[in-house]
Amino acid sequence: MNAAISARGLAFAYRPAEPVLRGVDLDARAGELVCILGPNGGGKTTLLRCLLGLAAPSGGTVTIDGRPLAGLRARERARRLAYVPQTPGSAFAFSAREIVLMGRLSHLGALGLAGAQDLEIVRAAMEMTGTEALAGRTLDELSGGEAQRVMIARALAQQPTILLLDEPTSHLDLRQQGSVTSMLRRVAHDWPMAVLCVSHDLNVAAAFADRLVLVAGGRIAADGPPADVLRPDLLREVYGIDVDLVPRPGSGPPLVVARVPA
Amino acid sequence: MDSAPSSARTAGLPTAGRLAVEALAAAALTAALFALCTRVGPLSIDGGRWWSDPVWMLRAMRLAAAAAAGAGLAVAGAAIQGLLRNPLGDPYVLGIASGAGVGVRAGLALGAWAGWIAWRTPAFAFVGALVAAASVHAVARRRGRVDPFSLILAGVIVNILNGALIMALYLATDPLRVDEFARWAMGELPEAVDPSLLAVCGGLVLGAWAAAFRRAGALNALGLGDDVARSLGVPVGALRVEIFVGSALATAAAVALAGPVSFVGLMVPHVVRLATGPDHRRVLLLSGFGGAVLMIAAETLCRGIGPHLGAGRLPVGLLTALLGAPFFIALLRRRFAEEDA
Repeated sequence: MNAAISARGLAFAYRPAEPVLRGVDLDARAGELVCILGPNGGGKTTLLRCLLGLAAPSGGTVTIDGRPLAGLRARERARRLAYVPQTPGSAFAFSAREIVLMGRLSHLGALGLAGAQDLEIVRAAMEMTGTEALAGRTLDELSGGEAQRVMIARALAQQPTILLLDEPTSHLDLRQQGSVTSMLRRVAHDWPMAVLCVSHDLNVAAAFADRLVLVAGGRIAADGPPADVLRPDLLREVYGIDVDLVPRPGSGPPLVVARVPA
Repeated sequence: MDSAPSSARTAGLPTAGRLAVEALAAAALTAALFALCTRVGPLSIDGGRWWSDPVWMLRAMRLAAAAAAGAGLAVAGAAIQGLLRNPLGDPYVLGIASGAGVGVRAGLALGAWAGWIAWRTPAFAFVGALVAAASVHAVARRRGRVDPFSLILAGVIVNILNGALIMALYLATDPLRVDEFARWAMGELPEAVDPSLLAVCGGLVLGAWAAAFRRAGALNALGLGDDVARSLGVPVGALRVEIFVGSALATAAAVALAGPVSFVGLMVPHVVRLATGPDHRRVLLLSGFGGAVLMIAAETLCRGIGPHLGAGRLPVGLLTALLGAPFFIALLRRRFAEEDA
């Protein structure tokens, strides 16, 4: 199966003596929702930034649809890779529709003017994310979950093959978490698109991801279906804390419960 | 979060067709105001053959210079506000206009190549504006971010320094030109505008305006943060350089024509944004016309009321300062209120 995005031997260091990533191999293909997990400072955000081309790796390569990321021009990259940051924010009071239209930037001509086709793509992206009713509102007038869905619609309007998100549900309440994660599953499976999320919540990630990637100490500690990655011995080694696994009510991978030190 | 009426938006998404209609309407309005104002003034014009009347000709040149200066300042303000993600950006407040002013006067003081005035004045103004813009940005930048208030403080410092330099050049001026210097420093258009200077500066303003408009989409994306803008394909570093250079150029052309006129770059983009929303395609396109309209109207008003105040001519810069200072205060207060809320 051809990978949409693929990293080989990825290394990164802010200072040579303190490597943040030390040889990461990672593949994701279209139709797959992958969650990148791991302890704070373990390198997951740096990995995301290297995959996006926002940070230049000190070693190794990233390939997008079989082409080296470093060789892609900024506009070409933007047509393949889309990014949703942790906190949605805008310096100016743009409406939701104006923000989604920004996703078309790398597809527009020299004058940067949107045509009928762009407007149709914007409409479809807003329909897919359930944000049509919010079109005229500014981010300030939206809840956290609504704003995050608008930012995802903006990323979809880029028509990428790969979508990368940084902690998309970390500021959201339970209901909004559910609406964002189920939407990301639809995007990954129905589009289909490779969706990679950085997350810190093992139980939320296990419930919605097809695959979990555990990053610790700058390396991949585990990579596989949730049930394979959520092992007490592995999690103890990675997080430095004892955990218990309890069955999830209904079905799905087990829940991880940390043992609170007495 | 129910359907509370959001900030009133009459304007739809800026497609090519809509923008063309809006630009034509704005251009027609500007042209109509220009035509009207060329017929208004203390001196009457021969009604039959007005176009050959020297009074009309002088006035038309002066109003064209006012329009070019206003467009240049407003476009520079809109572009800087977008780049810095900060609605308090303005070429005058940030010391870029006073830097251009130092350049203009230094160029005139080195009067050796008087024949090249049309190019020399804007060229010196451009160097001065660029130095001021780079200094303000370097002073205000902290960990890669430019905080609004440190930016304004840096602008205050650069403005004081440039003011002192202009004063020094004033003291060194030929006594016969002292009055012209003082009036220029208040922001006054000369009685007779040099046609080649007007052509060069007008061309520079149009070029900077077009260049800024081409980057409107990138400026929109920048409003979502540097990382998102990069992921949308915007070369953020190159954009920053391009916008600063373009804004310095537009400001330099404006100051070469009209002196350091205050607050046009602050007021016009705000009014446009209030009317049409924040999309930079509209803000940049319409701010150019808005700046021209404001300056044509202000210049005509100054010429009209000056004689009644016993002042003869009244520098247009005085009027924009009287309008702009309360505007700036209102903006600051609203910002404080938003931050406290």
